[in-house]
Amino acid sequence: MARTRSKGGPASTSADKTASTTAKAASTSTFTLPAESSNPPKLFVLPKNTSSSVRIITLENPRYGNPTRYLVCPETGSFYEFTKAAPPNKSTPRSWLLSSEKSEKEPALESQTIQSPDLYLATPYDPLFLLLPALFKSSNSKSDNQQRQYLSLDDYLDLIPNTDRHFSEILTLPNSLIEKVLEARLASVCDLVEMGDDTMYRPNESKLSAIILSKASKMAENLPPSMEEKFIKKALEAPVMGVVKDQPPPPPPTSTSSPEETASPSASESQSTVTTSSGTTPSTAVTTPATEEAPEPTFAPAITASSATISLQRLRTSLNFILSSYLPPFLSKTVLSSLPSETFTELEEYLTKLSKLRTEAAASRNIDINGGKRARDEDDDERLEKKRKMEQEEKVKKANTSRGVKQLAKVNTAGMMKLSAFFKKA
Amino acid sequence: MLEARLDTANLFKSAVDAIKDLVQDCNFDCNDSGIALQAMDNSHVALVSMMLKAEAFSPFRCDRNIALGVNLTSLTKVLRAAGRDDTLTLKAEDAPDVLNLVFEATAQDRISEYDLKLMDIDQEHLGIPDTEYAATISMPSAEFKRITTDLMAMSESVTIEATKDGVKFSSTGDIGNGSITLRQHTPVDKPNETVEIELSEPVALTFSLKYLTNFCKAQPLSNQVKLCLSAEVPLMVEYGLEGGSYLRFYLAPKIGDEE
Repeated sequence: MARTRSKGGPASTSADKTASTTAKAASTSTFTLPAESSNPPKLFVLPKNTSSSVRIITLENPRYGNPTRYLVCPETGSFYEFTKAAPPNKSTPRSWLLSSEKSEKEPALESQTIQSPDLYLATPYDPLFLLLPALFKSSNSKSDNQQRQYLSLDDYLDLIPNTDRHFSEILTLPNSLIEKVLEARLASVCDLVEMGDDTMYRPNESKLSAIILSKASKMAENLPPSMEEKFIKKALEAPVMGVVKDQPPPPPPTSTSSPEETASPSASESQSTVTTSSGTTPSTAVTTPATEEAPEPTFAPAITASSATISLQRLRTSLNFILSSYLPPFLSKTVLSSLPSETFTELEEYLTKLSKLRTEAAASRNIDINGGKRARDEDDDERLEKKRKMEQEEKVKKANTSRGVKQLAKVNTAGMMKLSAFFKKA
Repeated sequence: MLEARLDTANLFKSAVDAIKDLVQDCNFDCNDSGIALQAMDNSHVALVSMMLKAEAFSPFRCDRNIALGVNLTSLTKVLRAAGRDDTLTLKAEDAPDVLNLVFEATAQDRISEYDLKLMDIDQEHLGIPDTEYAATISMPSAEFKRITTDLMAMSESVTIEATKDGVKFSSTGDIGNGSITLRQHTPVDKPNETVEIELSEPVALTFSLKYLTNFCKAQPLSNQVKLCLSAEVPLMVEYGLEGGSYLRFYLAPKIGDEE
């Protein structure tokens, strides 16, 4: 998942759904192309139920500290971050071709192409993250809860970096719900104290951890397939040991997938619910799913992760993702350390076992390679040469050894301690 | 730059002769105080420590610390070319590849010069503490040599027992047993035959005779040898030289089973 980013200038944001067209040069000659715009339009996918007061504002990214654009709807109090969906394969050039259908409500836009294949998605963003640096940075050095002061919401809002005055502007818009939303988010990670009409807040790390953890577990329920593959399957995959397990007997073919029946047109109709392509390729497509699974586990991995371990790994992956993309670096550590220590014990155990297995597997593979016949042939000469050299050296050594030394070598020194036991090394 | 001249090659010859039967290769550490050597045998049960002080040479010059890694068998071969009464001069550069030896026979105006290739030797150096020994026996070095050779006929090991009355060397072997006892005596006319025993408490320790006979090859160095014993520490055999120079051997005692 790409990080929030929006590079489009203010010009590109004025139009909804697609950016404004740049030139109308094509009217004079059908063969002249319009000059390339210095600020090409960008394609955005924006949320549906926003009012006309929706703004794109620049705020400091709580994680990276650089100015980042956010979409804010003051009337609902919701924040959106921009996520750039990059094309999967950079080597193939891609572009957008846009054409709009005629509709009553919106004026039709001219059909156009956009060179950049990027797509910007506005996705909901928890404004809590915007508050975090202001909340925790002030008392960064003293992590002790007692040392922190109770402050009002306004005090915290003042702490949010506001270089372009965007933030204060959206707070003062008419019908703005933003302050209410921020207050609610603030309350969720703080201890509260009522002082007259005012409520005072003091950040609480354990509350923050709980919220981050619940976010992570929500994310873990539905990880995107690419993350699932890379961080869950690959990370937990045990090396396949060359142990051939007893092949389970192939399951008896079910009546519906027997070849005789699938060959008949009536059977293929009954299968259409099982596989989408069964209508056109009746026999092969239907029978494969039933039989292909059986012979696979002949090469079994050495250990398999339990479902609890897998879900823990999912949780940790999600947690790491949130910590590394939304929280200020100093807070990530605090949150991690305030998690209950036994949260990932089972996973850790599995992972240590796994790394041991992997080194073993790697070692055995090395032996296989070294034992290769080709390598042996090449080494033969070298080894003989070495042996000859060693023998020669031995000879020289023997010639340089006195008779006394040789005779002393035969002395039975059992019961005699080494001198290093009496005298220490200098 | 090292330059050290000995009036008689005999001293150096005998010292190297005795050491070469214990160790194969070792470093001669030269600095402005003299030439020192410390090495253990292959089994690490015996140690030889030699100190030839600058005063033993005339002249002696060593500007920098130099370690001369020498194969002792090779050095012996070279030293064989030196006559007993030749003057011996050792020379080496600051980072030497070779040790230069010059033998001069003053009577015949004969000068022989040899270069001995040096080697790099990794040696561990042990710190030997000053020890108050329970028994210190001084005796003629020839007598000690004779005792060790005689008892070799009986056994591989000897028990040295020091008491008020004297010192007893005894061995028990397959063919029988034997012992030699020396009493203190100080003949006025022959100081070289003095036997002296300083004793703070009686000791009895057993040592490997083969090692002791090896030590005795240093006998030409000195008329007197000093044996220092204490319970459960290595025996020290010292051949003292003029001017505080010495050749010392240390040998771990045999503890427990005789076999």
